[in-house]
Order: sequence, then structure tokens, then C-alpha cells
Amino acid sequence: MKALLFACCVVLFSAVLVNADLRPPIKPANQNAAQTAPEPKYILHTGLEITTDPKAYEARLQIPQSQLQNFRAALDGAPGNPPIAGGIALSAPRTIVAGLLMFLAVSVAGVLLARSSSFGRTQKALGAIVLVAVMLGAAAIITRGNAGPPGSYRWRNLPQALAKGEPTVGGVDVEVVPDDQLSGRMRLIIPLKKQNNSGDE
Amino acid sequence: MQSAVELRTWPTAKAVPNARVFVAIVVLCTLAAAAFASWLPLQVSIVTLFLFAGPHNWFELRYFLMRLPVRFGRSRNFFLTAFAGLGVLTVVYISLPLVYNATAWSEDAWSTVIASWNTALLVWIGALVWLRHKQKTQANWAWLIPLGLALCSLNWLGPDLFSLAIVYVHPLVALWFLDRHLRRTRPAWSRAYRRCLCLLPLVLAGMIWQLSQTSSLADNNGLFWRITQHSGAEVLPQVSSHMLVSVHLFLEMLHYAVWIVALPLIGSTAMTKFWDVKTVPVARHPKGFPRLIAGVFVVALIVVGVLWFGFSIDYATTRDVYFTVAIAHVLAEAPFLLRMI
Repeated sequence: MKALLFACCVVLFSAVLVNADLRPPIKPANQNAAQTAPEPKYILHTGLEITTDPKAYEARLQIPQSQLQNFRAALDGAPGNPPIAGGIALSAPRTIVAGLLMFLAVSVAGVLLARSSSFGRTQKALGAIVLVAVMLGAAAIITRGNAGPPGSYRWRNLPQALAKGEPTVGGVDVEVVPDDQLSGRMRLIIPLKKQNNSGDE
Repeated sequence: MQSAVELRTWPTAKAVPNARVFVAIVVLCTLAAAAFASWLPLQVSIVTLFLFAGPHNWFELRYFLMRLPVRFGRSRNFFLTAFAGLGVLTVVYISLPLVYNATAWSEDAWSTVIASWNTALLVWIGALVWLRHKQKTQANWAWLIPLGLALCSLNWLGPDLFSLAIVYVHPLVALWFLDRHLRRTRPAWSRAYRRCLCLLPLVLAGMIWQLSQTSSLADNNGLFWRITQHSGAEVLPQVSSHMLVSVHLFLEMLHYAVWIVALPLIGSTAMTKFWDVKTVPVARHPKGFPRLIAGVFVVALIVVGVLWFGFSIDYATTRDVYFTVAIAHVLAEAPFLLRMI
């Protein structure tokens, strides 16, 4: 009974942990505002480098050819070549196959653990609990979460890097927004928090 | 009594400095490979592939022929499964680019195709493990079943990432071959070699730490674009392509060093005389096939020459063709490694 309760706690806490970094659903302030300002359409996630060039006369935006093809494919409604999380989450049949195989892997591992004579009963129970928790956590992170530090982490030193003329590399979500929201300009939003005088964020 | 003690201690005393020299060479080569791969990844990649891709395949072929028994005997099913899987998987893999150009399937459909091929690869390796396990009943390999299923599952979640993982893991298999080889031929060096392997994750961590913040490589021409794509720049766009190319090149350089330098020189006399067909058991045995083996060596040598010629004429296309066809040697490593375990 204690082992069962412990297992439930481990699984529940792991579920909370892996969901903790998910972006909460965006709710419009009111219905009218939602109608007048439609949500930006997410296209894909890619990498971005911000760098300076003292010899340049004009700001330039350089896009790799392969990325441009991905933009075009995404705008046309095709899945394009979605990286990591996108490629994992978009295909339901593949996710089902992966889930079935993971279920089989955990089941067989559990049977082998239970049949092995080199572990005691308590060790087997603990091993099974940890195995299930790790598998559930890993599956949740892979399919729903964004493992690793948040994207803003790589942009934290951007002001200092710009001042020194050094490049900064990080991830970026490409979105398409209606023309009236940006007056025909492009906008780059960097996830930087305002720093106070003491240097703390 | 005195002479008996001297006779017993003499080989050990001789082996110690040799092992130290071996460790020094391994450490020096590892650090030099990491430095070159980090410094000029694209340029060194081009030169390394041109010089060593073909010869390393030749040496690998020769090594596998050295390990091939004259008669399969109890291993008949193992080798039949190995060669049948090797042939089918290679042909399907080579045909994939042709099918890609001939059809207009969606990216999602292609991900399913790639996941299916990867699953077939894992099933084939699983069958080989099972057949090998039947010959080595004392070993407990049952834990490989859930591991294989978990790998299949991860493959279906991210087929592109799984394929990229094969690209990065394959060079490390050569280090495993060297480990097994040292345990048989130079047991005194085996422990020193395994200590040297501890350096590998440290060097990799250092490279990743140093290069993760570097700007991506300029892939503004077809060749540089191919090199960055092969290292996974498209699959991992948020990671610096400089880091990806450098890490992959570093592992490839170790791979070539093991097959071309370490295994032929460190091994037995038969391995050292790599040009002598009679040193291959399948050719030397009275019931063997000396002419066939000699013919295979000559044809493989011609292929190496053709590869060099192709690189000289059109490097980018030859690189594409090479990395497609080279899947055969990646697959061939699995059964022969299993035979050594």
C-alpha cells in the first residue's frame, strides 16, 4: 500500500514538473479585443544570430535558403521540415506507434526486473517505480514540454554582446501577424527582462 | 631460481613503456583531432574525407574478411541473417533518394518512411543479437529487448533525430572494435586504452562548451551547405553549425585513425602485413578462396581510386554518393562487432 501511494506521488509530481515549463494558453482580455487583434500565426521555430557590422550602411536580414523553403512550405500549409518538438508532436500516427513501443519497452523491462533474482523485493519495487516515473516524465517532456533551459536564457547577454560587437545565437519562433499590427514593418521581440542598477534581473 | 624470476618479469617490464607510449599517442591524437576540428571544421572536413574515406573502407573490408570463418558451421543462420539484412537495408537506403526525386510525398510521409527504415535496422540488429545469444547462452542479454523497444519508440518520435544519432554514434563503434581487439591481442594495453576513453567525454564537453556560442558556419556554397546538413544543421537549427560540424568531424577523425592506423599497426603480424592476401584466413585455408579474396581486394582498391578521382572532379556530388553508399559499411560493423563480443 505504501509503495502504491509512493508510486502515485512520484508520477503526479513528475507530471507537474514536466508541465511546469509549458506556455499557458493565451486568453484574450475580452471578446471584442480578440476579434480586432487576431492571434499571430505560428510558423516554425528556428535559430537566430544577432550580430553587428561596423562597416555596414544598412541593417540586413540574412535567411538561409533551406529556411526560406521551410517558410514557404509552412505558409503554403505544408508541414515543411519542422525541427525537434514540431516534428515530434505533429504526427499523430507516429506518436501512437512510439507510445505503443514505449509501453512494450516498459512492460518487458518490468517483467525482466520482476523475474531477476539479483534484486530484493524492495529494490524491485523501487526500480519499477523509478522506471515508470522516468518513462512517463521523458515521454511528457518529449511530446509536450520544452526540455532544457527556457529560450530567454541564450538571449540574456545580448545587450553586453551588442556593446562589444560580439554575436549572440538563440532560438526564435517565426510568426506571421496581420499588416495593421506592424504597419508594414518587421519586428523582432527578444525575451529580455529589464535589469536594475545592481545588475539583478 | 634467479633466471626464472627474470624470465617471468621481463615481458611485463617491456610492456610498461610501450603502454605509456601508446597512451601518449592516443591522447596526442585525440587532442590534435579536437583542435583541428574546432579550428577549421569545413576545410579539415573536406581534406579528411578526401584522404581517408576510401582507404578506411578498404581497411575495414579487410578486417571483416579477416574475421570471416572459412565454413559458417553453427553460425550459418547468423551470417545468412547478417548478409541478407545488410543487402536489403543497403539497397532500400540507396533507393530512398531516387524515390524522393521521383515522388511528391509530404514531409510527414517521408518521416514515416525514414522511421520504418530505422525500425527495420533495429529489428535486424535485434535478430542478430538473438542469434548470437543462442551461441553464448551464459551471457544475459535479455535487457537488450526493452532497450531495443525504447530505441524504436524514440525513433518513431523523431526519425530525423534518430538518423542523426546514427551519424554521430557510428564513429564511436570503431573505438569499441579497438577495445575488443586490444583485449585479444594486447591485454596489457586494454586497461590503459579504457582510461584514455574517459578523456573522450571531457574533450567533447570542452568542444561543446567552447563552440556552442560561436556563430554558425557560412554555408553559402553547395559544398559547405552539404557538410553542415550532414552534421545536422537542419535538424538542429538552434545549435551552432560550427559546433555540429566540429564534433562530427572530430569523431570521424578518430574513426579513420582507428581503422587506418590503430587496428593494422597494433594488431597481429597478419594485420600488419595488410597487403598480403595469404594473411587472411579465408584465403590461406586449404578449403579457402584465395583468388576470390584477392579479387575483392583489387576491386576495392580500384573503388578507392575511383573515389579519389570523383572527389577531384566533383567533390560535392561524390560526397553525396559516398555517404549514401557508405551505409553498407555502417551496417556491416554490427554483425562483426557482435561476433567479437
